[in-house]
Amino acid sequence: MSFYDGRRLARVWGLIAEQAAGRGGRVAAADVCAAVVPGVQVTGAWLSAALDAQAGHLMQVTDEVSRQLAELQLTLGEGPLFDASASGGPVLASDLANGESWARWPGFAPAASQAGAAAVFAFPLVVGAIRAGVLGLYRDRPGSLSDFQLGDALTFADTATMLLLDAQDQAGGATRPGGGPGGQPAGLAFYRAEIDQATGMLTEQLGVNITDAFVRLRAYAYVNDLQLADVARDIVARRLRLFPDPDLSLGDET
Amino acid sequence: MDGQLLSEAFVELTDTMVADFDIIDFLHVLTSRSVELLDVSAAGLLLADPRGELRVVAASSEAARLLELFQLQSDQGPCLDCFRSGHPVAAPDLASDQRWPKFAAVAGQAGFSAVQALPMRLRDQVIGALNLFRATPGAFDADSVHIGQALADVATIGLLHERNMRRSDTLNEQLQTALNSRVIIEQAKGKLAERLGIDVNQAFSLLRDQARNRNQRLSDLARAFVDGTQTISGPASGSARASRPGIRQPRPGPRPAS
Repeated sequence: MSFYDGRRLARVWGLIAEQAAGRGGRVAAADVCAAVVPGVQVTGAWLSAALDAQAGHLMQVTDEVSRQLAELQLTLGEGPLFDASASGGPVLASDLANGESWARWPGFAPAASQAGAAAVFAFPLVVGAIRAGVLGLYRDRPGSLSDFQLGDALTFADTATMLLLDAQDQAGGATRPGGGPGGQPAGLAFYRAEIDQATGMLTEQLGVNITDAFVRLRAYAYVNDLQLADVARDIVARRLRLFPDPDLSLGDET
Repeated sequence: MDGQLLSEAFVELTDTMVADFDIIDFLHVLTSRSVELLDVSAAGLLLADPRGELRVVAASSEAARLLELFQLQSDQGPCLDCFRSGHPVAAPDLASDQRWPKFAAVAGQAGFSAVQALPMRLRDQVIGALNLFRATPGAFDADSVHIGQALADVATIGLLHERNMRRSDTLNEQLQTALNSRVIIEQAKGKLAERLGIDVNQAFSLLRDQARNRNQRLSDLARAFVDGTQTISGPASGSARASRPGIRQPRPGPRPAS
């Protein structure tokens, strides 16, 4: 029996799919933002997509306080989401009014409390060096996420990461339905080192950055109806090479 | 047990724990020293991800087969049992052990006959496990188990170094950051292996050597290399280099595709 809890994924994706169905659209990163609020019992959430290395483009907020929290960090240039983005790990500030929070964010902590937030949890939407954005959660009362809620929150963040990367893939011209709920598993649910190694190898084979390499790897698995881990294994064993996209080269010739 | 070796190992480990040290590099040193001190064939460290998985963060060798054997224990094996129970788990003879058939089969194929898992504990919480493998069957003696446990404790301390250990939030932040650093290193290994036509194991050694030469954190160099802001050249001697990046098979043996 697996230590890994498949029900967690099913529960998280169920909540996300419910949001998408509720608004009658395809599952998108914005749905994660709406679903995570009841999912881990927080007051509000916001989602920013990465612009290059820095998180910047605010995509979705669930309420006015969330919007203010996102803007405060941009204005002040400090806050949990900045730190999460820099470290690649979550920042869990369960009590913004305590000395630790005030010492860490002298501008943000009092301003956020003023705006109505008592706790802020920031999750970087990253896969190693790939940065897709950040997910912010807040509570109007202090208190940590339970271990159970943290596991769920990380799973929501994984799903948002994949949906943002898929959206980027579609914007880049490739045609395929979104992954995540209902499609190819988020890919991070069961960790495989080969997937990361293959992504690194593809940056060289395709001459692209790490984000595009990962998008291409997932697209290849999807289009060929293969498991991501199997494709990665073949690439690492050098049984499979991918080549730069001919369509994109053609497009450059105009 | 050689007391001199033991104290040297702890001096080296504490020397590594300078301000802003790299946790992955530290844990890699720790697993390498575990192999020497405890006379085992391989050692690996697994951390519990709050999503519900055990994940490898460091190993004495980056050989793919070994990493896979550690990772397999997210499903079954001594590390998983150790993590769940909080107690050391020993299997002195895997060939006759009935507890983990899939794990025992893969371990046997990799040439291992005995295994020991030791918990990484923080107060009442188990955060991961140190995994030791031996090529020959036989029980691990009490001395080895004690020293192994001390090394597992040091790994826990290293993970929480210079942070406020009272908060479980801090532990979770550090765990996730360490796990993401490990992913960056895997990505860098792949990129470097492809660029130089070497295998991922050699790529790890090269990354690590270059980080040390440049006095840089391993994960910082790995990130800069993946982002393209820093370059890494092949080994100075050129001995490990292949003539055609990406074409060469990682190991001699397989016939060329035709």
